[in-house]
Amino acid sequence: MSQVTRERLFGFRHVFDDRVTVVLTLTALILFLLTPVLILIVTRVANSSSDKRKELWDRYRSWIWLALFILVPILAGAFWTIVAVAALSFLCYREYARITGLFRERTISLIVVIGILLITFSALDNWYRLFVALFPLTVALIATGGLIADQPKGYIQRVGLGVLGFALFGSALGHLGYMANDWNYRPILLLIIFAVELNDIFAYICGHLFGHRKFIPNTSPNKTVGGALGAIVMTTPLVALGAHFVWFNTVLDTPVCLLGLGIIVSIVGQFGDLMLSSIKRDLGLKDTAKLIPGHGGILDRFDSLILVAPAVFHYVNYFVGFAVGQPEHVFSG
Amino acid sequence: MEPWKLQPARDTGLTPSERLRSIRRESGLLERLAHHLSFSILRMYLATAHRLQIIGRHHLPAHGPFILAANHCSHLDAVTLVAAFRPRHRERAFPIAAGDVFFQTKAVSVFSAIGLNALPMWRKNCGPHALADLRRKLEEEKCIYVIFPEGSRSRDGRMASFKHGLGMLVAGTRVPVVPAFIAGTFEALPPHRKIPRPARIKIVIGAPLDFATTPNNREGWSQIAQSVESSVSDLGNQSRPV
Repeated sequence: MSQVTRERLFGFRHVFDDRVTVVLTLTALILFLLTPVLILIVTRVANSSSDKRKELWDRYRSWIWLALFILVPILAGAFWTIVAVAALSFLCYREYARITGLFRERTISLIVVIGILLITFSALDNWYRLFVALFPLTVALIATGGLIADQPKGYIQRVGLGVLGFALFGSALGHLGYMANDWNYRPILLLIIFAVELNDIFAYICGHLFGHRKFIPNTSPNKTVGGALGAIVMTTPLVALGAHFVWFNTVLDTPVCLLGLGIIVSIVGQFGDLMLSSIKRDLGLKDTAKLIPGHGGILDRFDSLILVAPAVFHYVNYFVGFAVGQPEHVFSG
Repeated sequence: MEPWKLQPARDTGLTPSERLRSIRRESGLLERLAHHLSFSILRMYLATAHRLQIIGRHHLPAHGPFILAANHCSHLDAVTLVAAFRPRHRERAFPIAAGDVFFQTKAVSVFSAIGLNALPMWRKNCGPHALADLRRKLEEEKCIYVIFPEGSRSRDGRMASFKHGLGMLVAGTRVPVVPAFIAGTFEALPPHRKIPRPARIKIVIGAPLDFATTPNNREGWSQIAQSVESSVSDLGNQSRPV
């Protein structure tokens, strides 16, 4: 393993070399220090019920844990980042498999788990060809694994659910981990995750302020056109500004390309949210699990990120490429 | 094309600690792996420390649902009986354990649920409601229950009379009850001891009993309890060296 790779995977001496990393980490810290004060003021002024107050504090406490789960691995090194993304993939797949009933199909679940492990390995190894090959190969393996039971009844359902599960939580989310192969992965990942979470919050706030016309009432009755447009208007410039500093002086650093990236993050993020709403509505569930107090399941919290990861990856890859100049086949040689 | 039948896990919507204590709990890949691992370790322990001997294993039905009912005088009993199952049985085997002992604290619940795959029975409010849920699960999920119908561990090694809760689970169903007698666990780990002694343990499994025609009422339940109790004590008499 070369010095460069070791530094990228495990080194944290250069954590705060990039301005965007510093700004985003500080913003997160300030938000966490300010939020308790805000909650205290808001609940006093609005004379909120104790239930409402408890919910706000639950959410705040959960956010601290979530932020640690996101920030610590990204700051600690690319290795930990990729491992954290793998953990996220497994947790999301677990919730998906349990709400759809796919977990009862053990062969298929096992193949998806192996697929996620291999995706993680290809990311750690910086082996792009394997990373690309794993999607069709795992799909082929799932289609084959579905035959083992020798029960054609329900074949399309179990294979279909398995392929969707792997596509969303193995392959799509895996792009987030693969991004850690870029030398400048810290600000990139922090920017994307920050933008996606803020996008959710903007949509919520704008929906309350200017939301009149329902967006897609059958899928998600609380979403409004105002909220969706407001989120695009607010998220796009923020992403463009951050991306301008991250990809300073590259092909991507033109107003059109930067705004394009912002629009992609905002729109695709909202589609991810709606996708999970559709899945839950199809199953007649409110939350995917009851794991995080105030939020629901892991999947409820990270739904917007799932589709954004591959969209941003390939957008950036088209213009400037990912992991350019980084040694490949770190472990496989 | 058949319409899709999406059936979420029965424990969906429970918090992790509620789930451990719920009879709606369904194991996933990792938990199944944990059950297999812990049973393999227990099996090895029982084979080396207690020279576990199993007689009459051919009486066990090939697949669930069925109930294995035995005498009870030690915490080792449930572990011993589940370890006696073949791997294909262990998948669906649930020891029914006292909620106030095995599911009291979080740490113990994790061990009982993940390690033993136990289901809680709350002795204080074990109404017909709880038993009805267990009865439904038994048939729907083709489970194997390990049950001690005496209700608690014998303090002197002698078998007490069986309670009729067992009858409420199987009366009028095709679910067979397999009687079993455990010898040696009282010597190994009686209720007043904390650490087991290396005494020999023996399990004798009898022929399955069928209660499909027994009425599902108080009379039928006590009939079932009596019939299983006499089978278990017969096995106990047979197993004693003459």
